[in-house]
Amino acid sequence: MNPRQTFMDVLARMTLAAIFVSLSSPAVAVDDGARAYWKARDGAHVVSAQYLFLDMQASDSEMFDPSHFILPNSETEANLFLGSYAYHFTLFDRRPSVIAFNLLGGSADVDIDTNVVQSQFLPPGVARGASFSQSASGWGDPTVQLDVNLFGTPPLISTVDLVNYEPTWTVDAAIMLALPVGEYDSDRLVNIGQNRLYGRFALPMKFHFGPFDAGHMTSIELTPSVWIFGENDDFLGQRLENDPLWQAEAHVTHDFTRSFYGSLDLLYRRGFESEINGVSVGDELDVGNVGLTLNFQVTDNFVMRAGYSSNVIGDDNLDNSVFRIQFVYGWHRLMENLKKLRGQKH
Amino acid sequence: MGLSMKLSRMRSFAKTGFAMILTLVLALGAIQAKADKPLQIGQKNKRPNFLLIVADDLGYSDLGSYGGEINTPVLDKLAQEGVRFTDFYVSPTCSVTRSMLLSGTDNHIAGLGNMAELTAPNQIGKPGYEGVLNKRVTSVASLLHDNGYHTYMSGKWHLGLKPDQIPHARGFERDFSTLVGGGSHFDDRWNVEWQIPKMPYTEDGKPVDELPKDFYSTKNYTDKILQFIEEGRGDGKPFFAYLTYTAPHGPLHLPDDWLRRYKNRYDEGWDAIRKQRLSRMQKIGIVDKGVNAADRLYFLPRSTALTPAVRVMQGRKMELYAGMVEYMDDQIGRVFNYLKRIGEFENTVIIFISDNGAEGNDLRAMVAGQVGSFGFLHAMNNFAEDAHNSLGRKGTYAEYGPAWAQVSMVPFRIFKGWVSEGGTRSPLIIRGPGVQGAGGINKKAILHVMDIVPTVLEMAGVHHSSTYRGRKVASVQGKSWVEMLAGSTHSPRTSKDWLGWELFNNRAIRQGDWKISWLYRPFGTEDWQLFNLTNDPGEQNDLSDRYPEKKRELVALWDEYMKKNGVIIGVRSPFQGARKGLPDPVQQSDSYPPFRGLEALPYKKLIEMMSGKKGGK
Repeated sequence: MNPRQTFMDVLARMTLAAIFVSLSSPAVAVDDGARAYWKARDGAHVVSAQYLFLDMQASDSEMFDPSHFILPNSETEANLFLGSYAYHFTLFDRRPSVIAFNLLGGSADVDIDTNVVQSQFLPPGVARGASFSQSASGWGDPTVQLDVNLFGTPPLISTVDLVNYEPTWTVDAAIMLALPVGEYDSDRLVNIGQNRLYGRFALPMKFHFGPFDAGHMTSIELTPSVWIFGENDDFLGQRLENDPLWQAEAHVTHDFTRSFYGSLDLLYRRGFESEINGVSVGDELDVGNVGLTLNFQVTDNFVMRAGYSSNVIGDDNLDNSVFRIQFVYGWHRLMENLKKLRGQKH
Repeated sequence: MGLSMKLSRMRSFAKTGFAMILTLVLALGAIQAKADKPLQIGQKNKRPNFLLIVADDLGYSDLGSYGGEINTPVLDKLAQEGVRFTDFYVSPTCSVTRSMLLSGTDNHIAGLGNMAELTAPNQIGKPGYEGVLNKRVTSVASLLHDNGYHTYMSGKWHLGLKPDQIPHARGFERDFSTLVGGGSHFDDRWNVEWQIPKMPYTEDGKPVDELPKDFYSTKNYTDKILQFIEEGRGDGKPFFAYLTYTAPHGPLHLPDDWLRRYKNRYDEGWDAIRKQRLSRMQKIGIVDKGVNAADRLYFLPRSTALTPAVRVMQGRKMELYAGMVEYMDDQIGRVFNYLKRIGEFENTVIIFISDNGAEGNDLRAMVAGQVGSFGFLHAMNNFAEDAHNSLGRKGTYAEYGPAWAQVSMVPFRIFKGWVSEGGTRSPLIIRGPGVQGAGGINKKAILHVMDIVPTVLEMAGVHHSSTYRGRKVASVQGKSWVEMLAGSTHSPRTSKDWLGWELFNNRAIRQGDWKISWLYRPFGTEDWQLFNLTNDPGEQNDLSDRYPEKKRELVALWDEYMKKNGVIIGVRSPFQGARKGLPDPVQQSDSYPPFRGLEALPYKKLIEMMSGKKGGK
């Protein structure tokens, strides 16, 4: 036994923490992502940059664009960028937790069939029957999310905590709040910001199979959640209200190698019925997407991820697909110091 | 010559001849009676059964009844109902021990002068170096089977691969055997030797092509021995059952539900556990108080110098080892329960031993050490995985290393492979008919694995002849324990009797309290050293200068041993370059200077001081 090597090996396990590092992406249009609620070591920092391409087509049903407007009979294309920062810490020295800040930005283009759209959705000066397109770009509403483990994950403060960590069932509680400071023009149908408070409460759950080592991990994850929306009192001069949006997100993830895993993704959403000036418009949302995500650990710190999903269940009249590519970079003070001792380049 | 004279002479011849024939018949009858008449050991009108249980690489102090913290209630109870022995010797490695265990004679005669895998060029083809149990000896199974015993084997053979060398050909009427030295405990069957990538198994002498999907060595070996006894018991013949587990030989493997049985039990580190064991051994009387235990090997850090995380990772391996030992104990319990159920437990002589000292060598490195070799390729393909949480599962490789091996062999020096006490002492528990002194610990007898054959044969009333099926066979060198077990003597050996060992060119002689050994560096001096084992079982104080005459006497016995057994010193040995393969010496002293007192600081505090804040541990 070479004790020095063993010590290095143990410290190197902290790099494993980077594998766990992922970021939930609280945006209504997409799921949080596979392994979004796995916990890294206390003190780990993670930043993420994500590009999302959304293509949504609705005939006579309701759906929402990136700014969460109800846009029946429309076609939306959006190019969005989501930047995130997360910090892993231990709440009250007992609960492994993550606080994450997300900032959305980008552009969206919407085409609406004015022949069939409800009049409430016609911007001023747009006559029924005319073709109508609108674009928007800018920052969305920033969000902050706190995720706290309730069950199944002990504090991951020390290396020995990580070494002993072999989760089976875990249950978290996560609360997210969006601040309505994003781009918003009340005269526009399409915006990136929402002009209202909204948030989400989630209960991320997961079950781990097999040894908890890179290259062997398998998980089933389920995150039921509900989005609650405040009132937008200036939607084309009208008052927009939405029912809660119920959401269930599920993943089956599996390591193919020590640095490569895949995930089968499911996102189902229902609810979100709209009222404009107190009058119910359209139907409630009912859509489920199935997708696939591939995650590749490039270095100890750096992860690349790409995924695609498309609706396959729910309302037949709503087509949507989401492609995303994500870059995640995580670091921890000891991990960086370990590299110094090992003489590795950063 | 007249007719009357002729008749008279004929009558005289006839009388003489009759008398001679009668004498011969009576003499033969007497001899036969002596040979076949069993001792009054078994139940009335029944010869005893024998259950010979061999653990693989089990350490001296692992069992609870020998001071270990591992939960071994079945064997502990066996020790309470039987007798434990403190000075029972085996060979430093497994096949070598097994050759003596089954033949009753020295390994250099029985064909395992060296391990087959490590035979030196100048030993190849020489008598006694066949690498298999050779035909110069007969196995105890053959003799018992020829004399009315059912003979069963389940487990590890490691004494030959060819059809005339396998258990079925060496006296076992039923067998389920793995023929090689070590490998996976699961159905994937990979062998540590690349030359035979898959472990060959036989059942009743025929190759086993596939193992059950849920195969786990210890469980399935137990299943088989129970099956054999059950299927053979209808005819009322006694049995000799050789249950030879491959546990806890590496790779450390366990069924999933046993993986975390000892979770965090060994986080204290090897020093603390070793100290606790030694204390218990003294308390129960396995070793004397105040004995000189061997120092921690020079390249091993004290466990208190390791961070908690490192100790957890190192402790995980010991957890798996302990799990394997307890699992084996549990399975042995199945056998005992079965024997009780069929009413044969009280008529069964049960002998439990290990085959050598605990394993402290890095077997995987020995196999896969040469990058680019087939051994390396084999390891890459089959047993490269050693991630912390995966260890113990199918497809992984773990051994517990020299520090834990030293714990298993406390208070002795070094471990498997070496002819030090740490390589050659084994626990020995015997229970059954003919065994007196239940619960006792015999510390006076100096015993050897070769003794088991003459003991078993005497108990069974079977004679070991100088020929077997027309071929001349070597005589038994071991000494029967029957009188000792009956309480008539304390030991089958006098103070003049001696024992000898040679393996990988390391060599040793024990006579009474004295022992000389010649070991390669760095563990030895490559010269003879003299130890008094009564005061110094850890072989720490070389008394060569103080007792030169005693040393000379024992060296002379070594010469006798070598000549008597045809020992050939190999032109190469796996331990010749041992030092190069080991880490540099650790520089920390356990307690110097004493006022530093770092050990007294709670770890949490120490780590916080180092890191300046939490998160640095």
